[in-house]
Amino acid sequence: MSSALRRLMAEYKQLTLNPPEGLIAGPVDEENFFEWEALITGPEETCFEGGVFPARLTFPPDYPLSPPKMQFTCEMFHPNVYPDGRVCISILHAPGDDPMGYESSAERWSPVQSVEKVLLSVISMLAEPNEESGANVDAAKMWREDRKQFYAIADRLVRKSLNLPLN
Amino acid sequence: MDPSSKDRPKDGWNPDLNQDEAIIAQERLIEKEIAEKICLIGAKCDLMRLSSEYPDDDNAFQEKIKDLRKRYQWMRKTRPDGNCFFRAFTFAYFESLLQDEPELTRFITVAEKSKEELISLGFPNFTIEDFHECFYGVLNRIKSGEISTSEQLQAVFNDQGISDYLVVFMRLVTSGHLRSNEEFFSNFIEGEKTVKEFCSHEVEPMYKESDHIHIIALTAATKVPVCINYLDRGQGGKVTVHNFPEGSSPRIHLLYRPGHYDILYLDSIQNGAVNNV
Repeated sequence: MSSALRRLMAEYKQLTLNPPEGLIAGPVDEENFFEWEALITGPEETCFEGGVFPARLTFPPDYPLSPPKMQFTCEMFHPNVYPDGRVCISILHAPGDDPMGYESSAERWSPVQSVEKVLLSVISMLAEPNEESGANVDAAKMWREDRKQFYAIADRLVRKSLNLPLN
Repeated sequence: MDPSSKDRPKDGWNPDLNQDEAIIAQERLIEKEIAEKICLIGAKCDLMRLSSEYPDDDNAFQEKIKDLRKRYQWMRKTRPDGNCFFRAFTFAYFESLLQDEPELTRFITVAEKSKEELISLGFPNFTIEDFHECFYGVLNRIKSGEISTSEQLQAVFNDQGISDYLVVFMRLVTSGHLRSNEEFFSNFIEGEKTVKEFCSHEVEPMYKESDHIHIIALTAATKVPVCINYLDRGQGGKVTVHNFPEGSSPRIHLLYRPGHYDILYLDSIQNGAVNNV
């Protein structure tokens, strides 16, 4: 068994036994541990509260030496998420891989990080966008200049994620 | 000049391309090219080979290499991938264990304990156990005699999967020592970073280069003294020699050239004299 596979199985077991609040994650199918699906609940008292957002995690063959990649598979509008859903946060990058210019104190990928840490960072990201790193320029601009409009879009995304009628 | 040219995209500019990932992909490609050229741990070769890497009339280096050859006869190159200090240190130390059973026994106990220490510092067990197991496994293969020659050890260190896991574990041991002596080491960290931040940005991630602070912490944590010979363009015709910890008598010897570490071996005839450097 490859060491990446062994580690991913250990992490899956860990997440199943002690699931952190607001997230579920696991392999898409048991035949391929290198592709996971995650469900992320929008954090309380934020504009994403109550939404349930699906995302895909893709692990490299040398995981956990290299970080996974993450992409929302639902519609998402957020300063740190590319329009195609890819998540752009510091923990998904090793130090040095930072053309985006994250703060130097931001959390980075290392072999002792984990899927759980990544997903918890994504929840924090939903609660508090990083304005310095604009993966979605329109979303970053709206977050800065027209918060009300941003909240309205977030509300629509929450409703959509729950299959509720859109206002 | 065509007046409309300013409206056109610049050569090679593709607005749909994710620039971030393009830059990272290019860095990975460069790393891969380096990787394919140089072994993680190279074969032992005569130190004379070092002279041929510099022009004959490059006196600054040639003089210092002569100085180095007064004490050292052989060297072993390592891949310049940012992990070279950890890989060189670990290989040179493990190689010395092939002929030193009491030290091997001592170090197996150190390695055994280090896992509990890391867990007590807050590292989740599932994130460290694979690295620990791999590290411990190689030590036990030395103990059982399954790995008994430098060539066998070299083969293990050129198996990237194992080799990188050994590096990660040494990085964790280093981080563990820094974190448990936070107050002391906080004086040596530049800028606003805390010891914890320093560890998670500069020690734990792969490919991050090592500085004095890494060397001080690793030699203290493992109690393996190392002698580092600094070869650079500085004046004086002699390499600068540092023992870690200061005043210790070194068990392993490394060559430092700006940004990179290789392994050195003493001139066997003068072996005894060198420890007094």
